[in-house]
Amino acid sequence: MSIQVFNRTNIFIALQYLSVRKRQSFLAMIGVLLGVTTFIVMVNFMTGVNDFLDDAVFNGSPDIIISATSEKESKNRGFVGLAGISEEKRNRIDSILKVDQNVESYAHQIASPAILISNSKQFPGSIQGVFPIQERTMVDLERRLLKGKGFQSLSKKNTILLGVSLANRLQVSTGDTLKMIVPNGNTIQLKVSGIFSFGITTIDNIRTYVSADILQDLLVQEKGITNVHVKLKNRDNVRLKIALTSAVDAIDTEDWKENNKTIVIGNKVRDILTWSVSFALLLVAGFGIYNILNITVIQKRKDIAVLKTIGYSSNDIVFIFLVQSIIIGVLGSIMGGVLGYILSYLISTTPLDTSDFIIVETYPINFKISYYILGFSFGVLTTVFAGYFPSRKASRVDPVHIIRGL
Amino acid sequence: MILEAKHINKFFLAPEKQQVLKNVSLSLNTGELVSVYGESGSGKSTLLYILSTLDIDFSGGLEIYGQNIKELSSQELPDFRNKHIGFVYQFHYLLPEFTVLQNVMLPAMKLNKKNKEEVRDDALVLLDELGVKEYAKRPSYKLSGGQQQRVAIARALINDPSLIIADEPTGNLDQKNSALIFELLSEITNYKNKTIVVATHDSKIYKNSHRTIEMIDGVIRL
Ligand SMILES: Nc1ncnc2c1ncn2[C@@H]1O[C@H](COP(=O)(O)OP(=O)(O)OP(=O)(O)O)[C@@H](O)[C@H]1O
Ligand SMILES: [Mg+2]
Repeated sequence: MSIQVFNRTNIFIALQYLSVRKRQSFLAMIGVLLGVTTFIVMVNFMTGVNDFLDDAVFNGSPDIIISATSEKESKNRGFVGLAGISEEKRNRIDSILKVDQNVESYAHQIASPAILISNSKQFPGSIQGVFPIQERTMVDLERRLLKGKGFQSLSKKNTILLGVSLANRLQVSTGDTLKMIVPNGNTIQLKVSGIFSFGITTIDNIRTYVSADILQDLLVQEKGITNVHVKLKNRDNVRLKIALTSAVDAIDTEDWKENNKTIVIGNKVRDILTWSVSFALLLVAGFGIYNILNITVIQKRKDIAVLKTIGYSSNDIVFIFLVQSIIIGVLGSIMGGVLGYILSYLISTTPLDTSDFIIVETYPINFKISYYILGFSFGVLTTVFAGYFPSRKASRVDPVHIIRGL
Repeated sequence: MILEAKHINKFFLAPEKQQVLKNVSLSLNTGELVSVYGESGSGKSTLLYILSTLDIDFSGGLEIYGQNIKELSSQELPDFRNKHIGFVYQFHYLLPEFTVLQNVMLPAMKLNKKNKEEVRDDALVLLDELGVKEYAKRPSYKLSGGQQQRVAIARALINDPSLIIADEPTGNLDQKNSALIFELLSEITNYKNKTIVVATHDSKIYKNSHRTIEMIDGVIRL
């Protein structure tokens, strides 16, 4: 089709046809609008939830956790209920991690259950003894801090960082002191130096950071560690696990996918739902436009024949009809984008009754410009596609045949 | 000479093979009003569709304005028609979505030689000459048959084509309106120096035209 067809006259004719069928054109436009709106709201919401969970869960926990499996070894080393990783094994693991291309960073930890006692309450917690300098490369705690300071405060003597739910239950705040009792009965006084929140109740309820030295002292495990946490460059590539388990025996590796199966599946389901529902709606909208234009072409055969006898070419006719569906598509898509934004905005400001699982004040919503571009392109493409076949049919009307039948 | 047709043969294949035009040759000069008459089914309309370049599925030669029609591409043909040929049919079909004025303007807007104001003025002059100027702003379907036919003639004239082809332009009109349309056609030939070919059963037309061509079963008698 040449550029010549794109002229004022053809557009004028197309607009005239649209305006005499205002109601039908409007309905077709509503169809596109609904498709695009749904797409945008769903994508904004679903990816918002996905990103939120990704951020809270996956960025809050390591991609791979290495721990010892052997009961015997832990007994040998005197851990109570926890498997320790021997120094020799730790060195082997470290040497593998150091050279692996996909390793972003790693950190040693000594973990232990403990009972935390405040002035008024006591609760069990899962204590992670960390090496602050290493741990800072693993978890961006600064961003999650509600009060106090992050890992650097652990280098001071006898300090502890608490998840917000746990702190609330213990009725403590920064500056307050706690007593911690570890399984072998040793106790220590700790000062709360920071309170953080990952937005996930299961984390905020139990996670507690102290410096590794404190825990090693209490457990009488000089230089002892129980886990190595690894952060990967490409999180989906977990081949490192195989390298580790084949090189070092009696260790266990878990990756983020195994640990968060439900969330991984949830993300997938949300993706599929978004695409299939939006696609179905746009398909319906497209079919609506196809139908309307098809009927118009049949009704307007005489007009098309006359236009041809007075010098309008087949390409002009294609253009005249295609422009109608493009106008419907563009207007519907723009309005769909605007409505999608408004609805997304309303949802994003809707207070959310915090569930047991996640802690957020409002629904997590993404506002990425690319989703609007995508939704708009989808809407317009659908209508162009739906409009093309009736338009081509219109251009093939044989004027002689029609005029004979007039 | 404005039009030259040589040995035109036309077949219809369905429902059965049938030769509708048999070796038709004719030439038309500028300023002629030529009528084609003959029995129903003799092939008048078929010939006119070919002469107006709407039907190019025929054998033989057709030159209009020195241009061999068969040499025009499917892109060029509509432009050629737009520029050089005006067409009037029995059922004077106007586009109902458009006003009378817009209907007349459509071919000129396609031609795109003049700006919209000039085209509008041209159209109003024509509507005035044809006595339907007062309806210019009306939707085209709110006119009587005779009025619509006059608008259709204005539409055929708007690009000032040298050749006008009319297939039974009075076939659907009463006596009074037929007479009026005929008056208009002969005025157009005489004062505007156009060539008009008109197929008709109307004895008043063919008796008063410059030349008559009789069509008998696909063969013409000059
Ligand atoms: N599309 C077609 N397919 C097959 N045969 C056709 C077709 N159109 C016309 N014919 C036949 O061609 C012949 C000539 O038809 P045409 O319409 O040219 O006649 P006409 O002289 O204009 O008649 P009338 O005075 O009734 O308008 C007729 O026998 C008709 O049946
Ligand atoms: Mg006829």
